[in-house]
Amino acid sequence: MIHMGLWLPLLAGLVLLLFPSLGRGFAVASAAASLVIWLVLFVGYDGGVAYYSQTPFLPELGVYYSVGLDGSGLLLWFAVSLVVLLGVWIADVPVRFLALSLIMQTGLLGIFAAQDLVLFYVFFEATLIPALLMLWFFGGPDRLRAIYTFALFTLVGSLPMLAAIFAVRYLGGAESFLFTDLAANPLTGPAATLAFLGFLLALAVKTPLFPLHAWLPGFHQQNHPSGLADAMGTLYKVGIFAFFKWAIPLMPEGFQQWQGLLLFLAAFGALYAAWVAFSAPDWKTLLAYAGVSHLGMGALGLFSGNMEGTVGALYLLGASMIYGSAMFLFVGLVYKRTGSLELMPVRGLARHTPALYVLGMFLLMAMIGLPGLSGFPGELMVLLGAYQVSPWLTFVTFVSVVAAAAYALTAFQKLFQETPPRPASDAAQASAVLDLNWREWGFAALTVGVLLLMGLYPKLFTVYLEPLGRAIAALFGGGA
Amino acid sequence: MTTLYILVGLATVLTLLSFVVSREASRYIAVSGLLLAGLYSLVDWGQTVIGFGGLYQFDTLARGLTIVAILGGLWALLLGPARKFEFPLLVLFAVAGIHIMASTPNLVVMVIALEILSLPLYVLATWQRNEKGFEAGLKYFLLGALAAAIFLYGIALYFGATGSFAVGAAGSGPLYTAALLLILTAFAFKIAMVPFHWWAPDVYQGSPTVVTLFMATVVKVAAFAAMLRIFTPEGLEVWGMALAALIALTILFGNLGALAQSEAKRLFAYSSIANAGYIGLGLFGPTGGITIPFYLLSYGLATGIIFAVLAMLSNQDIPLERLRGLWYRRPLLGGAMAISVLSVLGLPPLAGFWAKFMVFQEAALAGFWGLVVLALLTSAIGAYYYLKVFFLVFSRPTLVQEADDREAEAALAEFGSSEAPGIPVSSAPLGLTQGLMAPAAHTGLPTLSILLVALGLLGLLSILPALGLRFFSPGPTTATVAATITAPTVGYSHSEYRFITPNPRPLHHPLHALRAPPGGALTAGSHTLLDGSPGDSLELFANRSPLGLVGDCSERRVTVVVTLPLPAPSCEAVRPRGQDLTPIVDSL
Repeated sequence: MIHMGLWLPLLAGLVLLLFPSLGRGFAVASAAASLVIWLVLFVGYDGGVAYYSQTPFLPELGVYYSVGLDGSGLLLWFAVSLVVLLGVWIADVPVRFLALSLIMQTGLLGIFAAQDLVLFYVFFEATLIPALLMLWFFGGPDRLRAIYTFALFTLVGSLPMLAAIFAVRYLGGAESFLFTDLAANPLTGPAATLAFLGFLLALAVKTPLFPLHAWLPGFHQQNHPSGLADAMGTLYKVGIFAFFKWAIPLMPEGFQQWQGLLLFLAAFGALYAAWVAFSAPDWKTLLAYAGVSHLGMGALGLFSGNMEGTVGALYLLGASMIYGSAMFLFVGLVYKRTGSLELMPVRGLARHTPALYVLGMFLLMAMIGLPGLSGFPGELMVLLGAYQVSPWLTFVTFVSVVAAAAYALTAFQKLFQETPPRPASDAAQASAVLDLNWREWGFAALTVGVLLLMGLYPKLFTVYLEPLGRAIAALFGGGA
Repeated sequence: MTTLYILVGLATVLTLLSFVVSREASRYIAVSGLLLAGLYSLVDWGQTVIGFGGLYQFDTLARGLTIVAILGGLWALLLGPARKFEFPLLVLFAVAGIHIMASTPNLVVMVIALEILSLPLYVLATWQRNEKGFEAGLKYFLLGALAAAIFLYGIALYFGATGSFAVGAAGSGPLYTAALLLILTAFAFKIAMVPFHWWAPDVYQGSPTVVTLFMATVVKVAAFAAMLRIFTPEGLEVWGMALAALIALTILFGNLGALAQSEAKRLFAYSSIANAGYIGLGLFGPTGGITIPFYLLSYGLATGIIFAVLAMLSNQDIPLERLRGLWYRRPLLGGAMAISVLSVLGLPPLAGFWAKFMVFQEAALAGFWGLVVLALLTSAIGAYYYLKVFFLVFSRPTLVQEADDREAEAALAEFGSSEAPGIPVSSAPLGLTQGLMAPAAHTGLPTLSILLVALGLLGLLSILPALGLRFFSPGPTTATVAATITAPTVGYSHSEYRFITPNPRPLHHPLHALRAPPGGALTAGSHTLLDGSPGDSLELFANRSPLGLVGDCSERRVTVVVTLPLPAPSCEAVRPRGQDLTPIVDSL
């Protein structure tokens, strides 16, 4: 089942590339099937690394095709499957674009399911190809620059990680690249410090952690305005997961050497990004920096190295993948109506599109961490965890939460509620804007439902995340 | 032996026969000869054929590399010019030279093989009768001759130091070091390692594209075959630092040099220089004999596809701009080009990634961490120019190009294809230049189907790299030691068997656990340990108590034959004779 869930999107994507006439329905069917497969896996989950399977891939070199899902994988598979379904359902894009999204889905699912470090690396890198193609074929006029920034940040970051991967195995003395083997032989000493730096470079690009987030604004600004590529890009921000799954357990000593710097970067990165988001000229820039800010906060939780922080970071990662991606798709809807990504495309939009307004409200409230919606539980746990390590940095991060409310609400007010200065002409323009159609109602219902579910009943996932958090805490002598 | 007879015999016979049979016929004879030689290399796979009193040693390494060389030769023949009978002949001689080079452990035979291989290539380089062609040929010849002279000088010193022409003869002292370094220099010339690379861009650019394809892929095979035999990890302290310095310069300046290029053949010439450096990394490690052939195969396929596409565009200079919009103008060529470029860049999950992964880990195993990091960083530099090509292929073609395409088609219909000797650009009538340049190689069905086959093979290596690796590994039947293990009767606490041998290389974890048998249980039959070094004597352990000597390791690979009954689960280790037992037992 897990193999089917993993490879089905790739297969569907390739079929769709070859036979574009199958159309959107095929992509939606594939994405829905993925979500159903996830549901089956979720219902059958019984703790630990479930659905584990291991086949020799390059046995001479100790590389295995080994996949399995733990609690974090389960949560993130849900996020990916849901967002891809929402994306292919709502985005008005060419069929080839949908196919690339499906192909990218396999890469993302693989990142979360891989139980072999080399397999993880392969998925981590291979996902770059569809992301680049999406940006290239469907991006804006200045995309070449964005592509080079994106590709070179990614490659320059992740190639040193390969050296670190060799170091983890050969200097650590493990027999293979399997997670269980590597975790049993953690790297120690100065080698661990350097190897962690290798991971750090790659994963900071993908967290994204200040100051290696620089590729992100260009990436989002130049991508297709429908928001589908941005949503996929949001899912590709797997840095926190990779820190949690690979870098920290394999090199706990190395992590401790860098912990102070990492906490500082996470906290001030979150604040800095929130500040930049406040003066963002358009929605995509705003959302890009908002993402940096939120994930900086998540990283702070993870880098605290205790149970609350880790669980909160993973939950926040999953939640922010969903609301962040949905936000980009929502902005795509606004673009469809107004032809602009500016913060204030037309005035008084709320009067004509009340349903769109309510949907945006829900998403925004989730984003700024309103209790009852999906952003809150993660943020709360992160702050609780971080407070035990560094109250001051927690305070800094807390300021970024307040700032989030400020920039998000200001932008939202501009989008929907500014009254028209020249009533006659603008009113005419705005009244031509249509409210949600049935497809968009479906998108809205599913999104809001999940936001509420994750906000009101976080235990659904956290119960599986807690053992993982305890394992991380145990590495640093924390409470069992 | 049959492979040798076919290649050499056919080359000789065809030289005479070419005067009487038609050009097409001589081409077909050459192709079928290569195919037959390839088939005979596959016969008795895993066995070592020894002939001529040990001068000819056709083992798995030689078999694998011969197959790679034959693939390259076939490709060049099928793409190459058909109007001259010399072309298939020269390719045949070159392949024969590579085959001899790959299958001899004797340095003097290597010199002969090197000449058999090089002389045809000098001629092929001058194929284009223009200034650039002559420059290429002359440069290649003079520097090639210089390299051969250095090689000979090295051999003379080698004989002086060791009293033998056989590779792997033990030696020491400054004379021995000087000999090895001279030999290393000679090969560095041949595979164009920095700072001995100056000839490569000019020669690659000046030669017809098909010949460039042959040079870039196949000459490396020959050089690395010989290097794998001469520079074994046992002598690492003699040549290790010199090779490391060469590789560091090569990967750095190869990639930096490529950044500034605006002509496709020159760009891929620099890329080929950089890749020679990456392949060299494999020489450090214990399993270079498997991973280097894998690299050569996957690199040969990808670069072969790139140069084949270039050859179909033109035999002359190809400014990068001509690749713009290839995907829209010729989807098959564009797609093949794009995939191959990504593979050479080493993006997972393509075969190029697995190849790089393998050779990099060889260097890591030997403890050359600085070199690994440098290699990875330079790969990131490489990403810039590879991606440049990649996105050019997927750019919209310009209006001028579309017009050119139509013109080219019209010219093609009127004049037929222009073949390798080509009409010099300057003398072509105005406006027809593009048309006459365009279809340099055959673009008919056979060529395209070969392209598809190569793509398929590349895809197969990407999805199942283990298949390629196993192809180059000596089979488990090459038993060098065997031991019968009687069953211990006490109960065991560990659930898994392990073979452990000390790593002979410095700077590495002292106890490197090797391949646990699949499934973790020791079964009856042979188990091959991929590591170990001559002189190691291995012992088997069960739950901390030695079970007895397994045997000596006379080659780099050791096979342990286990006879059941042996109860599972149990825990086994192999230790070198005389080594302290404690660290091994502690690690279990």
